[in-house]
Amino acid sequence: MYKGYLCMILHAHLPYVRHPEHENFLEEKWLFEAITETYIPLINAFERLAEEGVPFRLTISLSPTLLSMLTDGLLQERYSRHLNKIIELSDKEAGRTYNTPFHQSALMYQDQFKRSRDTFYSYQGNLVKAFKKFQDLDRLEIMTCAATHGFLPLMMNNKNAIRAQIRTAVDLHARQTGRQPEGIWLPECAYTPGIDPLLKDYGLKYFILDTHGLLFASHRPRYGVYAPIFCPSGVAAFGRDTESSKQVWSSNEGYPGDFDYREFYRDIGFDLDFEYVKPYIHPDGIRIHTGIKHFRITGKSDHKEAYVPSNAREKAAIHAGNFMFNRKLQVEFISSIMDRPPIIVAPYDAELFGHWWFEGPLWLEILMKKIHFDQNTFSLITPGEYLKRHGYNQVATPCASSWGHKGYNEVWLCDKNDWIYKHLHVASDRMVELAEKLYHAAGLQVRALNQAARELMLAQSSDWAFIMNTGTMTEYAVRRTKTHLDNFLRLYYEIKENRIDEGWLYHLESKNNAFPDIDFRSYADRTVA
Amino acid sequence: MPAFLPMVIGIAIILLLAYTLWPFLKSRQASKPEIKQEKPLFMEEYAGELSIPAPQQTPEPVPELPGSYGIDRLILMVKDPYWLYAYWEITATSMEEITSRYGPMIWENSKPVLRVYDVTGIIFNGANANRYFDCALGGNADDWHINAAEANRSFCVDLGRLFPDGSFITLLRSNIVTTPRDSLSDRLDEEWMWIEGLYTKFQMGISSPLIIEEISERMGEIPLGISSPGFYDSHVN
Repeated sequence: MYKGYLCMILHAHLPYVRHPEHENFLEEKWLFEAITETYIPLINAFERLAEEGVPFRLTISLSPTLLSMLTDGLLQERYSRHLNKIIELSDKEAGRTYNTPFHQSALMYQDQFKRSRDTFYSYQGNLVKAFKKFQDLDRLEIMTCAATHGFLPLMMNNKNAIRAQIRTAVDLHARQTGRQPEGIWLPECAYTPGIDPLLKDYGLKYFILDTHGLLFASHRPRYGVYAPIFCPSGVAAFGRDTESSKQVWSSNEGYPGDFDYREFYRDIGFDLDFEYVKPYIHPDGIRIHTGIKHFRITGKSDHKEAYVPSNAREKAAIHAGNFMFNRKLQVEFISSIMDRPPIIVAPYDAELFGHWWFEGPLWLEILMKKIHFDQNTFSLITPGEYLKRHGYNQVATPCASSWGHKGYNEVWLCDKNDWIYKHLHVASDRMVELAEKLYHAAGLQVRALNQAARELMLAQSSDWAFIMNTGTMTEYAVRRTKTHLDNFLRLYYEIKENRIDEGWLYHLESKNNAFPDIDFRSYADRTVA
Repeated sequence: MPAFLPMVIGIAIILLLAYTLWPFLKSRQASKPEIKQEKPLFMEEYAGELSIPAPQQTPEPVPELPGSYGIDRLILMVKDPYWLYAYWEITATSMEEITSRYGPMIWENSKPVLRVYDVTGIIFNGANANRYFDCALGGNADDWHINAAEANRSFCVDLGRLFPDGSFITLLRSNIVTTPRDSLSDRLDEEWMWIEGLYTKFQMGISSPLIIEEISERMGEIPLGISSPGFYDSHVN
């Protein structure tokens, strides 16, 4: 019989980057790249596994902003056009590289992109349908996330703002996936005591923490991170296992650094002759990633050699075997000192699979197969299923923590981004004020109130503070924060003074249209689940 | 000559027709390649050009946010186990009130400070803090990063004025926050619960869990920052 469990979690999230005002918006490319390189390859992997009858179990969190974008008509249409462009480019590449060492790689992209188009069309352009399909087949457990990935511990001085983030997320999730979410990926794994009762109010049963969030709980957890704990509210917290993460993440020992794997930084969008790539980069002539990268990592130096897909596949298989072997050892050891089967929780950012680590989805696919066919020490499980089997757990209050650098709130609260909070907090208070005062509003007022809620939430995305901290694309993050806050403040005064500018409201509704069914009343005190 | 007339008129008509119809024909020719249809995938057509009109070609200017909101407030936030962050705003009305209460010289005779109270385990009434320390502020500061240097303690902060004789007046008081733990808890007593509290909680008594000893030995090497955002820090930049 199985001695323990492995729980693989992928957190899929992108901030809301929809810009109808410009035909070519660099930030929309984040979404397109993630679709081509991560979401579709993962879906293809799931499809193949299902065809082969492999009963894999995976957990994935789809953030509400991502759900909103994947189901948006304009973005679907733009993605379809983007896909046609890169297919065209991959066709040219297949010709250009003929009789060169890069030809295999070129053919691989040509095939991959065309398959992407088939996949995209087979779900009518709505990839959420694909994830839902595997959920309904009991292969995937889909978690939700806060509506715009708001960093909840830094919103604690207004709990209604947290409630609204959660309620909006849960509602959208249920509508898009057909099921009430059981689990929530707390944005950045950021937790502070007091959040869990709010999750409970919306029927959420578990969340994921970084290792120390569990280990440093109010009472020492008997099983460390190898069993969840219950918060006093009854919501379960699972802790990240460091060993399994390290194997994948670590820049030195991690798998993605293997010399046979694809080199991320050598894209033909930067490498090739300007005139040749011009139609496929930004119309203003800004060179960007096209997604076609013909080199392998090769070594530590700048010298790079051609990517050989078959060699990379072999490595992915070796690494999947290695990962499984290490989990077996880990489970065997831990189960020998525990009186119940340990659960190893291995969460990753989904976008690193495929986008950063090109072979990641393949690795995952082979791993799922190997776990099924080649061993019987542990089985795959989802957090929801674990709780059904093991409903009796230790009670403790987890430690405030995040999975960011240094483990707490510093990344999102430092001298580069601290200025946002005095605006965000006042906006939250004002939103609550409006929701209370105008709870029974109707017509145009409701539209304005709902849009105000959208603008506030979009300003709250943890992504902006994160980007300000890292220092790349800062201008965009500052612009987004200020613009949404400014929109909110204007709406606040217009609503309060009963002079709503309908034309401008319409403009905002069409532009920042996340969460079509948002209900501003989530912000009111009287709205408790 | 008359025999040529119909021909001349005929040519003229053809030329005229060609002239008037040319743009139409041309535009049809030109638009032909664009008519090439993809598989119909979408219920609506979203030509990029037809979507919401862009107000300007150049990006809209980044709006400036208000410097103040006309609210008296002092908000305290937690950065990590050792650092806090506070920001504040004091309204002109409150400033006037203070001036009229303490005299116009108050601003010159005193210095702005943040008084940081350790209020762990007490109901703070302003005078019963476990201990406190002051942070001297720069003249126009409206926020401050505070080194409280203690994990798992509760803090409250006053923005106030400190006089040369050591007296202190409070202008604003903050909310209370608790810094996170930075180590394993000393509390080894265990409480267990059935899922969602369906069954009453009960005590299991103190135990000595093996797994904790195993983990304690490795405490030094728990990498807190190796996950996602940390990954970006080390790889992308």
